[in-house]
Amino acid sequence: MNPREFDVIIIGGGITGAGTQRDCALRGLRTLLIDRSDIATGATGRNHGLLHSGARYAVNDPESAEECIRENKILRRIASHCIDRTDGLFITLPEDDLDYQKNFVEACNRAGIAASIIDPQEAKRLEPSVNPDLIGAVRVPDCSVDPFRLCAANMLDAKLHGAQVRLHTEVVGLVKEGDRIKGVRTRSRMGGAEQTFYASVVVNAAGIWGQEIVRMAGAQIGMFPAKGALLIFSHRVNNMVINRCRKPSNADILVPGDTVCIIGTTSSRIPLEECENVAVTPDEVNLLITEGSKLAPSLSSTRILRAYAGVRPLVSADDDPSGRNITRGIVCLDHEERDGIKGFITITGGKLTSYRLMAEMATDLVCRKLGVKKNCQTAIRPLPGSGEGSYEDVAKKIWETPSTAQKAAVARMGSRAFRMRSSDRFDEALICKCEEVSVGEINAAIERMDASTLTDLRRRTRIGMGPCQGEFCACRAAGLLAKSHGCIDRERDDLAAFLQERWKGNFPIGWGDTLREAEYTQWVYKHVLGL
Amino acid sequence: MKPQEFTHSKYNFEECMKCTVCTAYCPVLQVNPLFPGPKQCGPDEERLRLKDPYFFNAALKYCMNCKRCEVACPSEVNVADLIQAARIRYDHSAPKLRDQILASTDFMGSLARPFAPIVNSVTALPITAKVLDATLGVDKHRKFPKYSAFSFERWLSRHEKQQASFPAQIAYYHGCYVNYNEPQLGKDFVKVMNALGTGVQLLDKEKCCGIAMITNGMSAKAGRNARHNTAIIRKAVEKGLQVVGTSSTCILTLRNEYPELLGVDNSDVREDILLASRYIYEKLENGAKLRFKPDFKLKVAYHVPCHMEKLGWGIFTEQLLRSIPGVELTVLDSACCGIAGTYGFKKENYESSQAIGQRLFDMIAEADPEVVACDCETCKWQIEMSTPYKVMNPISILAQALED
Amino acid sequence: MKFDTVIIGGGLAGLVAGISLQKEGRNTAIISTGQNALHFFSGSFESIGKPSDRLVTLFAEAGIPLHYKEGVRLMPLGTFRPSALALEDIDIFPEPRFAGKVLVVNFMGYHDFFAPFLAEGLEKQGIECRVRLLNLPELEALQLSQSGMRSSQMARILDPIWEKVVQEVRLILRDEDCVVLPQVFGMYDPSVPGLIREELPVRVAFAGTLPPSVPGMRTQQLLGRRFEKLGGRLLKGDNVLNARIDGNRVLSVGTKNLDRHQIQARNFILASGGYFSKGLKSNPFGIYEPVLGLDVEFDSDRNAWYDASFAADQPYMSYGVRTDAQLHAIRQGVTLENFYAIGSVLGATHPELGFGGGLAIRSAFTAVDSILQSASEL
Repeated sequence: MNPREFDVIIIGGGITGAGTQRDCALRGLRTLLIDRSDIATGATGRNHGLLHSGARYAVNDPESAEECIRENKILRRIASHCIDRTDGLFITLPEDDLDYQKNFVEACNRAGIAASIIDPQEAKRLEPSVNPDLIGAVRVPDCSVDPFRLCAANMLDAKLHGAQVRLHTEVVGLVKEGDRIKGVRTRSRMGGAEQTFYASVVVNAAGIWGQEIVRMAGAQIGMFPAKGALLIFSHRVNNMVINRCRKPSNADILVPGDTVCIIGTTSSRIPLEECENVAVTPDEVNLLITEGSKLAPSLSSTRILRAYAGVRPLVSADDDPSGRNITRGIVCLDHEERDGIKGFITITGGKLTSYRLMAEMATDLVCRKLGVKKNCQTAIRPLPGSGEGSYEDVAKKIWETPSTAQKAAVARMGSRAFRMRSSDRFDEALICKCEEVSVGEINAAIERMDASTLTDLRRRTRIGMGPCQGEFCACRAAGLLAKSHGCIDRERDDLAAFLQERWKGNFPIGWGDTLREAEYTQWVYKHVLGL
Repeated sequence: MKPQEFTHSKYNFEECMKCTVCTAYCPVLQVNPLFPGPKQCGPDEERLRLKDPYFFNAALKYCMNCKRCEVACPSEVNVADLIQAARIRYDHSAPKLRDQILASTDFMGSLARPFAPIVNSVTALPITAKVLDATLGVDKHRKFPKYSAFSFERWLSRHEKQQASFPAQIAYYHGCYVNYNEPQLGKDFVKVMNALGTGVQLLDKEKCCGIAMITNGMSAKAGRNARHNTAIIRKAVEKGLQVVGTSSTCILTLRNEYPELLGVDNSDVREDILLASRYIYEKLENGAKLRFKPDFKLKVAYHVPCHMEKLGWGIFTEQLLRSIPGVELTVLDSACCGIAGTYGFKKENYESSQAIGQRLFDMIAEADPEVVACDCETCKWQIEMSTPYKVMNPISILAQALED
Repeated sequence: MKFDTVIIGGGLAGLVAGISLQKEGRNTAIISTGQNALHFFSGSFESIGKPSDRLVTLFAEAGIPLHYKEGVRLMPLGTFRPSALALEDIDIFPEPRFAGKVLVVNFMGYHDFFAPFLAEGLEKQGIECRVRLLNLPELEALQLSQSGMRSSQMARILDPIWEKVVQEVRLILRDEDCVVLPQVFGMYDPSVPGLIREELPVRVAFAGTLPPSVPGMRTQQLLGRRFEKLGGRLLKGDNVLNARIDGNRVLSVGTKNLDRHQIQARNFILASGGYFSKGLKSNPFGIYEPVLGLDVEFDSDRNAWYDASFAADQPYMSYGVRTDAQLHAIRQGVTLENFYAIGSVLGATHPELGFGGGLAIRSAFTAVDSILQSASEL
């Protein structure tokens, strides 16, 4: 069999692409996933990391709400190591209308979301950081999810079922014969090698950049990028998701995610050409802090780690080129039906919470095209790392008395941490001390999870995500990467690129401790290390 | 609203710049590979503990709360407080019997005192050391401090009237050690205070400061003592008395650990709690005079205890010792003796404890003084056990130098 | 408590000023909030050319020999930077190609020294390189601890067994004419780097590690000890919270540890450092000096504080406390006649004084001279 021929090629390593690849692989299809940079670099990794219960949509979009709660329940089972079962609060503040609460709870219950009104005192007991002035609270089954981990786990499972992944590989064109797409032409962003791969079906899961892929196929799609800015705070202020119980608005969700918490978002339409390099403005930062402090007042005196922005791949309905009628729902386009282009489908829109459903829809369509009759299994089969209980249970099975670093590794890797049992003292040494990431875990990410740059490693292991923003761990990890690929020059550039990327998220909030850390980092790299 | 004018977190843990300076100054880290170090146990893992208490690290027990990390930190992070607070908050394992015994300095003292001669001879027996070592895990090399047959409180109450006759008055927080083990230090303190024209009163039934309870996982009891002591100190301050002590650790506990670790607000009286050397130095600076023996000669090496470094008051003791005619003073480089209260008594810590102290012991030998001055009683035990040198509280040296 | 001069900040600037004054018999105290930027000192003084005798003598008397040579130094990531004045154990090479064949030695499990980066950097200069790892049983205890292999911990173990390190290096040395070792020697015994040099048959160069810097910590300890030996008083782990000011004179300062006890002095020197050391603080609205509220030069538009490129010179680094030419600090437009600002707290407000180590030392001497002169005029 030609190693460049596949049943399906998936363009885009976001959660939609990774989920679709997994679904295809579990149904026995030979797949290749291509991304021009790394996993979860677009909208997937640039949001709150909120696993919606659906409550946020219950009033205005009951269909999305029902979709969310169904998927929420599935993901709790199949992706347990990516999900923190925090639950969420929808709080009513004195300036909000308490009447909204009643509608809200009714809408939730209609959608199948277990929402219960609790006493404000009880809310304060459950979540001490919540604004003490609240006059109403509803508890819902919101969760927090690590999108990088979820994405990596999907891709890992696909690979365990024979799939192939090519990251840092750009699609430069589609192979089109007549009315059929037969493959993709690619160029490696690491070395520039050009290769062509062939498949019976090409799935466009490139998010906002999917518009360009559709254009390559010879069709049109109306994308309307919406920028959302967010702030990461340096530790968990809250342990439950906190939302405002009112019509969805700016900066009204505060999500605890691993060791940090995230406030967001703003929302503004931007031109497509700005999607490559979205910057957070001081006004957005001010808005986020001001509004965020209404959810949890202590945010106004908590150190901010980063500011970042994502772009939602919103699609306008086909009959509305103006973009006024935008859907936030799932868009699965069969271009054969729509544009007469065979062997090509686009899956986009939707949300992180509904990625699995999107993948199922795309894969069903792929299977129809290929004449494959296999049922979707992604709703029942746990992802690698999940299904062995909580991190506490897993750690107990591996070590008699796990150290904090070992516990942290299990919290990130789930049951995949079993392979760490045999690690020696050199593997146990910590590279990143903020998040407690060991040599062994980093090497595992390099060897088994396609990490080839420091930023790739960050997404898979959390190195550089702590308060020091990679000050020390970056060059230690660079040493390990250099060892794996053998090119020091490349690694020196990678280190510079990593620090640049960190700085990009730091300077919009560059005051106080952030400025102190920046001065220190810049001194160390310039005058001490000589980068 | 002005967004983010300041950032603030409990114990300033977010101000940690991950610069690793504290790790270079932690005495435990230098000798015990099981201890992950102040940065990791403190600000680093605080973020994980805030995520889930499950991430609490049992190895935090190796921290001896010397606070050198805090003195070294360029970012004013209260690293040791973070570690001790995490132990209080998250470590729910019951303290061992041995730790309970070691921590209950006042209870043990009141129990042992009436039988002091017997207790002292029993604890001095080699067989007792072996039994304690085997049964309780108290290291066999350790000598228990001797108990005095008469408590300091009893002695002072006999002189109550005479002390009341002085025009100025202070309240003395003597601590367990002076009361049960070395009443002589208390008597020396009274002598100095009287020479300054000040009478000494007891507080209204002081209790142990509780530092050993905090580090041995008995924070509830420590909290009770803290509330009691703060209340009686407040009563004294309301009467216009300042509260003075002779143990740097007790004073650090009364001033800092109560509000920081035990949640007892003492802000109204904190500045009236002083160590004797600071109190006396300030008196002398304001014109008080002492009369010294003309022929007094003593070669002294001053060891600044860790908690004295944290208080930042070593300079007062140093200046006070320098002001004694006839004292030839060497100030030893800052180094931990290794005992850290009850820490060094535990069998599992004995080796670390001695290894930590080695640098100090070497420096003392090099200075070769007649006496080592030190404001802390546990440093005294450690140095006297590990070197041939005699250790005295600076107040006792001062008392010796005064004309009778 | 009364002193002739009180210095706020115990880094390079504060210590140099303190030693200089104490040498002139001025009773001086240094109040420092913890340790300082010397812990990240590369060993080479930035922005200093040929040093004055005064500088060289001051360091030599503290037991810190310096050497001066125009050239380059080897950076830990395999690059070279111009250098002129450095600690004796930091090599200054006339040109980057300083040897024919180099053996780069690291220790097993030590991730804070970048041997492959060094080797590649040297190879770019046409130097043949070989990297070897030593595994000494003495380091096992550190290797067992997840974060034990750090420069300061290693130096504690390696200083007493330096002869063994030399033996091990001899065994793996082939025909190289130079050995590069990490800077993990000489913290407890400053003579160790020199002894290693003497005992190895080829040239030895020490390259930097991630902080803390062992040569930096040694420098800090020796300068601190020298200051104390001269009779200076170090108040460690304390910070100045307030000051009593009368017109254009500062009378005394109050600290966290000494609460209501004010420290009086005839002169004060602010050597509290840059942002890291909190000599300068910032919030979204501005940059300020926290002890006295001195006037600070900065751009009121926050967007102008940064360059979007990490590698660029950052505008915020140039902001600092306003002073006159003798470095008298200015507060609310009033020049304080007995209060000086030196070192990084000045930012780049006096470009002629340089930056980093150069700024620290030059500004310290300027302030000291002004203090000594003003006293003689009295």
